[in-house]
Amino acid sequence: MSEEQQTYDEAVQRLEAIVTQLERGGKNLDETLAMFEEGTTLLKRCQQELAEAEGRLAELRLDEAEALVKDDE
Amino acid sequence: MSAGHGTTTGPLPVGQFAQLIQHTVKNDPMFQHQALAGEVSQWSVHNGNIYFTLRDDVGQMSCVIWRSARLNIDPAIKVGSEVIIIGSLDLWPKRGNLQLVVSKIQPVQTLGALEETKRQLIETLRDEGALEMPSRPLPSLPKHIAIVTGAGSAALSDMKRLIENRWPSMRTTVIGVLVQGEHAPRELVRGLAITRDLARPEVAQRLGLPPVDAVIVGRGGGSPEDLWAFNLEPVVRAIMASPVPIISAVGHEQDHLVSDLVADVRASTPSNAIERLVPDRHGVLMLMDDLDQRLDASVQRRLQELRQQLALLTSQLKHAPGKGVYRAKDVLNALGGRLTRSVDAGLARQQQRLATLQATLQAAHPKRVLERGYTMIQDDKGRVLTAAASLQQGQTVNLQFADGRAAADIHTIEPEEDQP
Repeated sequence: MSEEQQTYDEAVQRLEAIVTQLERGGKNLDETLAMFEEGTTLLKRCQQELAEAEGRLAELRLDEAEALVKDDE
Repeated sequence: MSAGHGTTTGPLPVGQFAQLIQHTVKNDPMFQHQALAGEVSQWSVHNGNIYFTLRDDVGQMSCVIWRSARLNIDPAIKVGSEVIIIGSLDLWPKRGNLQLVVSKIQPVQTLGALEETKRQLIETLRDEGALEMPSRPLPSLPKHIAIVTGAGSAALSDMKRLIENRWPSMRTTVIGVLVQGEHAPRELVRGLAITRDLARPEVAQRLGLPPVDAVIVGRGGGSPEDLWAFNLEPVVRAIMASPVPIISAVGHEQDHLVSDLVADVRASTPSNAIERLVPDRHGVLMLMDDLDQRLDASVQRRLQELRQQLALLTSQLKHAPGKGVYRAKDVLNALGGRLTRSVDAGLARQQQRLATLQATLQAAHPKRVLERGYTMIQDDKGRVLTAAASLQQGQTVNLQFADGRAAADIHTIEPEEDQP
C-alpha cells in the first residue's frame, strides 16, 4: 500500500472494501487480523486528512495576492 | 467676431483667422476628447505618424495618430474596419485643415464578429487536441481551494454562503478580479497565474498553507458581452495551464463559453461549482464513524466464530468413537494436539496484537465522539440507553461526558412521531 500516492478517496474506498469483506466473514485468522490492521491504519490516515482539511477563507485583492506569492522571489 | 470689428480694422489676415478657429476648437469641450464611431478609410503611415479618414454615410473627418502618442493599435484594424476613437479636434493653421488627434482607437466588436472569433478559437483548440484532453477528477477532500472571481460580487457571496453551509472551515483563497470590461482578460490571467503559484509546494510551504489542489474561475450571469472575457484566448490558455483540476463556473445554466470546454469541470453556476467541489462535512464525519464501528464489530464477530470452530474441532477429536481404530485415533489425537497447540499459539500471539490495537481504538474512539459534544446515557445497571421510549418518568440516568459523569432525573419524555 503506497500511502503517499493514495488519495483520501482511494483510502476510504479501500477501507469500505475491507469492512465489507470482514462483515461477509469466512477469512482465516491471519487474513482477518491483517485486514483489521490495514483498516485501522487507513482509518487513522483518513482522520488525519480530515484534520488537515481544516482552515479558513482568505479574500485577497489581485495586487495583494500577487505580492503574497511573489514575496522574496 | 462682430461685423463692426471687421469694418474698423480692415480685413483679417487669413492666418489669424485660422489661429482663431484653432483657439476656439481647442478650448471648447464639445470638440475635445470626443468618442466617435465610424469606418476607417485611407489608412497610411508617414514618419511613424498614422493618417486615416473616419467616415460614415453622412460625413467624414481626417484623423491622425501621432507617433509620440505610442498607442497600442489592434492589428486587426484596417481599411473598412468599424472603430471607436477618442479624438480631439485641432487645426494646423499652415494647412487650414481640421483634423482629429486620436488618443485611443479600438475596433468595434459587433456580437457577430465576436462569435466569429470564438468559433475560430474553438477550431484552433480542436486542432491542437485541447478539447479531447481527459478531465482530471476533483479531489474528494480538497485541502486548499482557490477561487478567481469578481471582488465583492453577488456570485462570490453565494459561493461563500454555500461553503459556510457545507464545510465552514474549508481552506479557501479568494482572488478578487475584474470579470468584465476592458481589463477583465488581463486580470483573470493574472489571477489564474497566482493560483498556479499557490499550487506549487514550495510557495505553499513558505506561506504555511497546503498547496492549492482545486481552482474555481467564474462569475455570475450577465449579457454575452459581459461574459466575453471567458471566450478569449489568453484566459482560455490560462485555464488550460492549471496544474490542478479547475472548474469553469460562468453565468447561468444556458451560457456556454470556451472556458467551459477546456476546464476539467463545467459548473452551470458559481454555486454549482461549490456544490461539486466542497463536500458536506457532516456526511463525511458520519461515514468515518460508521466505518470505524463496523470495522471493530466485524473483527470481533469473526474472532468469536474462529474460537468456536476451534473448540468444536478439539472436542470432536477427544471423543472420536471406535474400537479397532486406535491407530487412527492415536494419529488423529496427535494431530489434534499439534493443531490445538499451534492454533492456540497463533491465536495467543494474534490476540495479543489485537488487544494492543483494540486498546488503541477503544481509548480513542468513544472518547472522540464524546469530545465532539455527544453524551452517552446509561441506566443504573450501566446499560446504554438509545431510545426515548425506554425511559421512565422519574428514572435516574447516568450521563457520560468526555471528561466525567453526571446523574440526571428524567422529567419529560417526548418520543418522536414516526415520519409520514
